[in-house]
Amino acid sequence: MAILVDKETRVLVQGITGQIGSFQTKIMKEAGTKVVAGVTPGKGGEEVHGVPVYDFIEEALEEHSFDAIINFVPARFAKDAAFEAIESEVPFLVITAEGFPAQDIMRVIAYAVNKGVHILGPDTPGVVSPGKCKLGVHPERMLVEGRVGVLSRSGALSYEACKALSEGGYGQSTVVGIGGGPLWGLREKEVLKMFDADPETKVIVLLGEVGGTMEQEAAEIISNEITTPVVALIVGKAAPRGAQMGHAGAIVEGKEGTAEYKVNLLREAGAYVAESPDGILKVIDQMEVI
Amino acid sequence: MRLLEYQGKKLFEDYNIPVPKSQLVRNLKEDEVELLPESESLIPGVLKAQVPVGGRGKAGGVKKVSTYQQAKKLVRDLLSSEIKGFPVGAVLIEEELEIERELYFGLLLNKSETCITAIASSAGGVDIERVAEEEPEKITQLNVDPSLGLQDYMIRYLAKRIGLKSQLSVFREIARSMYEMFIERDATLVEINPLAETTEGLIALDSKILLDDAASYRHGEEYSKLKNERFLPEEERKTRAERLAEELGITYVQLEGNVGLISDGAGTGMLTLDEITDAGGKPANFCEMGGEANAEVTEKSLEVVLANSEVESLLITLIGGLTRMDEIAEGIVEYVRENGEPIPFVVRMCGTKEKEGKSMLADIGIDTFDNHREAVETAVRMAEEE
Repeated sequence: MAILVDKETRVLVQGITGQIGSFQTKIMKEAGTKVVAGVTPGKGGEEVHGVPVYDFIEEALEEHSFDAIINFVPARFAKDAAFEAIESEVPFLVITAEGFPAQDIMRVIAYAVNKGVHILGPDTPGVVSPGKCKLGVHPERMLVEGRVGVLSRSGALSYEACKALSEGGYGQSTVVGIGGGPLWGLREKEVLKMFDADPETKVIVLLGEVGGTMEQEAAEIISNEITTPVVALIVGKAAPRGAQMGHAGAIVEGKEGTAEYKVNLLREAGAYVAESPDGILKVIDQMEVI
Repeated sequence: MRLLEYQGKKLFEDYNIPVPKSQLVRNLKEDEVELLPESESLIPGVLKAQVPVGGRGKAGGVKKVSTYQQAKKLVRDLLSSEIKGFPVGAVLIEEELEIERELYFGLLLNKSETCITAIASSAGGVDIERVAEEEPEKITQLNVDPSLGLQDYMIRYLAKRIGLKSQLSVFREIARSMYEMFIERDATLVEINPLAETTEGLIALDSKILLDDAASYRHGEEYSKLKNERFLPEEERKTRAERLAEELGITYVQLEGNVGLISDGAGTGMLTLDEITDAGGKPANFCEMGGEANAEVTEKSLEVVLANSEVESLLITLIGGLTRMDEIAEGIVEYVRENGEPIPFVVRMCGTKEKEGKSMLADIGIDTFDNHREAVETAVRMAEEE
């Protein structure tokens, strides 16, 4: 078990002939991911690292079955690609593009909800279950198979946390990149529920940041539904108001967007709060659940 | 991008949303303020400083005037003043209207509900967040399904909740137009506060519009025109490092401390800011290179961060997702070869090709760390010693 992906997940890559799409296809295959097909308009008939390329998803569907799509298409063209992916009713779509116009991603997410498709992203490194399936760009060398579920709004911060966990002897069940925004498909609360239902996950690490309301929603779910222990780290205490801290969604507006506000809510909800990746390790050490 | 009030009102006019008669006055040349003759007909009226910030009334940016002479003097005063830290680049002279009631109407891209939310309130003219806290019963919110758009029944419902009866058809036209404008212009917020009920109908007394920068490529010249017509001497107010960052396309936020920072991710950058603060230091900036940094981006980031003369030590913290450490090291070596190492560099390097990267840095005498906390503490200590 793991969440969102497993050993059997078959993957289609959108934008497979692009520089990033092609390189990441190679890395994903090396990590054991079953990449069955790729799509780039106008490049049908080509092959990328042994993966057949089609002009349309519909054409790929005539030859293959797949369970997930990862979209490496740049922001300006990603909406079109995302609609095509959702139309195919694939259950799970990862959107990596950064700089997605807000109204475009709003429509994409609304359409996905109508079609029952889960979207991860945008601006996400994707999802990886170490030793099983990698649907994204997480660096393998920091990951070890294990029992900690990690979800994060920031790619690099999840690598940092996974490095600390792996070095401290705690592997990961699944590492999920929620994405940098400006809007989100799967939100923290939904991924928390998935981890809670996963028998393999014994501890959940929530890596949040300033801006928006996702951690507030997470606190509510943690307080009401989640039985698995949650360790939270919220970054951006030192972030000034109104400044955009690298991510489209990381901007402190009003008191509810601050790290302090979020930390207090999470603590009240019963989550353990750590101040650093090493701190997360110490908290898990003390729990003795793994 | 936040538009100025007058720009928003121009857009309102384009969409047939009623606004008061007005005249924009700018400081065209030093010491020369000319009120146009037409503006005489607007007096008695209201002078409004055009600054991209809320609460300008309380800060002295809105003034009533009863004579032309008085208007002339006050316009000159406003044009040479600052409101909440923003120099006033233009003043709007507006006719004064007889108002029966002040309402609120807004459309917002709702990041929590992933839709456009229409908000109407029977209490306008004040901070909507405060009304929401103190008198929530006066506010009605309605989430609009993106595939439906704002439908007439929704508009009728909002109108009823804020007590509009005879003016329903005007409100419907305003709401429809505003929604159309929200979509066409890639807005994330369009707000009329107050929306005034007068004997002559509903009229937008103020405007607040935020446009989505990520969609600016779709609006080409229109967008740059709006940006230029904000008359904000932003360039002069920016620090050297901020200007350089914009020019080189580097994500950079200047802060007030002396520990410089470069990270290869937004989350790790924010984490490191917090850790510098926890270790008793003061970060000089936030600067993240993104997931695909290379030698060139590293060199540019170094240029930007070190353009701030307050920086006493520099912490470079790398975890390397897609990034290759040998490439980052190449950027650092190149920078040091050209500029020397003006202040101590503290590098925490971890990721693909980290061995190669570390040895390249060792060759030019820069020690690297594995442990993040140790690196943070060292950088803070060095800034203190400098």
